[in-house]
Amino acid sequence: MIQANQLSRKYGEQFAVENLSFHVHRGEVMGLLGPNGAGKSTTMKMLTCFLPPSSGEAFIDGASLHDSITVRRRVGYLPENAPSYSDLDVHSHLKFVGAMHGLMDATLTDRIREMGVLCGLDHVMYRRIDELSKGFRQRVGLAASMLHDPDCLIFDEPTTGLDPNQIVEIRKLIRRLGEKRTVLLSSHVLPEVEAVCDRMMIIDRGQLQTMGTARELSRQARGEALLHVTFKASSEAVFDLLRESVKEIGVELRETDTPHSYAIHHPDPDYPLAEALFHAAVSCGSVILEMHSEQATLEDVFHKLTGGGQ
Amino acid sequence: MRGGVNRALAICGKEWRIALDTPLGYVVATAFLLAAGFFFGNHLFLIGQADMRGYFGVMPLLLMFFIPAMTMRMLSDEQRSGTFELLATMPVQTADIVAGKFFAVMVQVSALLALTLLYPATLALIGNLDGGQVAAAYLALFLLAACYVAISLYASALTSHAVVAYVIGFGMLFGLFIMMQAMPTLSPQAQDFLTAVAPLSHYQLMLRGVIGLDNVGALVSVTVLFLALTWFQLERRQWR
Repeated sequence: MIQANQLSRKYGEQFAVENLSFHVHRGEVMGLLGPNGAGKSTTMKMLTCFLPPSSGEAFIDGASLHDSITVRRRVGYLPENAPSYSDLDVHSHLKFVGAMHGLMDATLTDRIREMGVLCGLDHVMYRRIDELSKGFRQRVGLAASMLHDPDCLIFDEPTTGLDPNQIVEIRKLIRRLGEKRTVLLSSHVLPEVEAVCDRMMIIDRGQLQTMGTARELSRQARGEALLHVTFKASSEAVFDLLRESVKEIGVELRETDTPHSYAIHHPDPDYPLAEALFHAAVSCGSVILEMHSEQATLEDVFHKLTGGGQ
Repeated sequence: MRGGVNRALAICGKEWRIALDTPLGYVVATAFLLAAGFFFGNHLFLIGQADMRGYFGVMPLLLMFFIPAMTMRMLSDEQRSGTFELLATMPVQTADIVAGKFFAVMVQVSALLALTLLYPATLALIGNLDGGQVAAAYLALFLLAACYVAISLYASALTSHAVVAYVIGFGMLFGLFIMMQAMPTLSPQAQDFLTAVAPLSHYQLMLRGVIGLDNVGALVSVTVLFLALTWFQLERRQWR
């Protein structure tokens, strides 16, 4: 489990991360979203003990960041761009990483074999890393981060440079890892976070903007219930009836090619608008051709919270 | 403690593997042995002196050129390629990283110095060689090399560019060399100070065949000082 309390990091007088608090449970994949310079990588560097926090505290499976050697033993970290020793072959690199984590020879050999299969590296195991494609180097980084079987995994943009097939594979792998471990990953790719993560948080200028499941964030971003409906014929009677029963309802004619197309909204995002509209239409004998609720996408949420919409 | 030693050894082994797999290590080693052989042969055949004083006199100059070349990538490459972040987030102390890197270069330097033992062995066959003096000179050379490695390693920690690291390392060693050359022109107090702290002055004293504890201590102290500065440089990110 990762628990961060009021975590801050300053560079000079500038806050890179400011009072960031969150927790990630075991068996959960948490996505860390934010524009460039939002503080995602700094957060990860603090959690992996590469940079100390200026203030605040964090715990990895109960171990404080002050106990950095214990934390580093418990965490598997894939830094941005998956750095690796390009002069070594894959096997030697993994052997070095394993030795640094104190794995004994017999265990290390087995773990390297397992990771080779898991990350699809078995056929390039004795090739120099500088001869490998970016995708394979990324896999080498992933294999190295999981080699010592850590309970907590922190991945900084794990699918950068991978082709679409590899992305799908790595997403599946992360999902599988997230079933038993604590996973925190950062990404710019919003659909990826949506596909892989149980929960996500959006940070901007070092501050937490929001946190929750994709559905919760979507609701927060929309802020109201919105329904798009198309009637077969004029339907003023339906709206009159609706306005009588639902006071705060708003109706607007949509500018589309289809006539009698309306947007209906209500300030309460949980209000059952579709149901109310259906009953009103039945009472008035109006025919509904199409009806759907409008959901805010993760892109909308991201845009709204990180200033992209300004 | 044992874990720290094992991790330092793992770093040392990794550096050795890289040195054996890349041409730079071979180029530097070959060039060093050729240059050392040239100066040895020069004294023996051209000047006609069957002793090693000239050879040991010129060795600090050779080390000044070659040791920065052997250490320039050690920490600068780690910082440039981002592998330092990988290394620093493994369960290892910064001191173990510095020790691993230092011993990796020292093993290489020791191997090169061991190969040059061929020259005194040749001399012993054709003339009278003062074995004790040569042994003391080799010990002095080893300790001076350790000093130079520590200074060059510090230079490598200062930058993420290997060539810049070479220039800084060479510049620092050259500065020490120039100071020794300029010593007669300095005031007596400055001369006393330099004699006490400059690695080359202790090396030259040891070449006479007397291993003074103060000379060994001074060379070891300079080595430890620069290893500590390297550690400090790597830890600085924590305090920025």
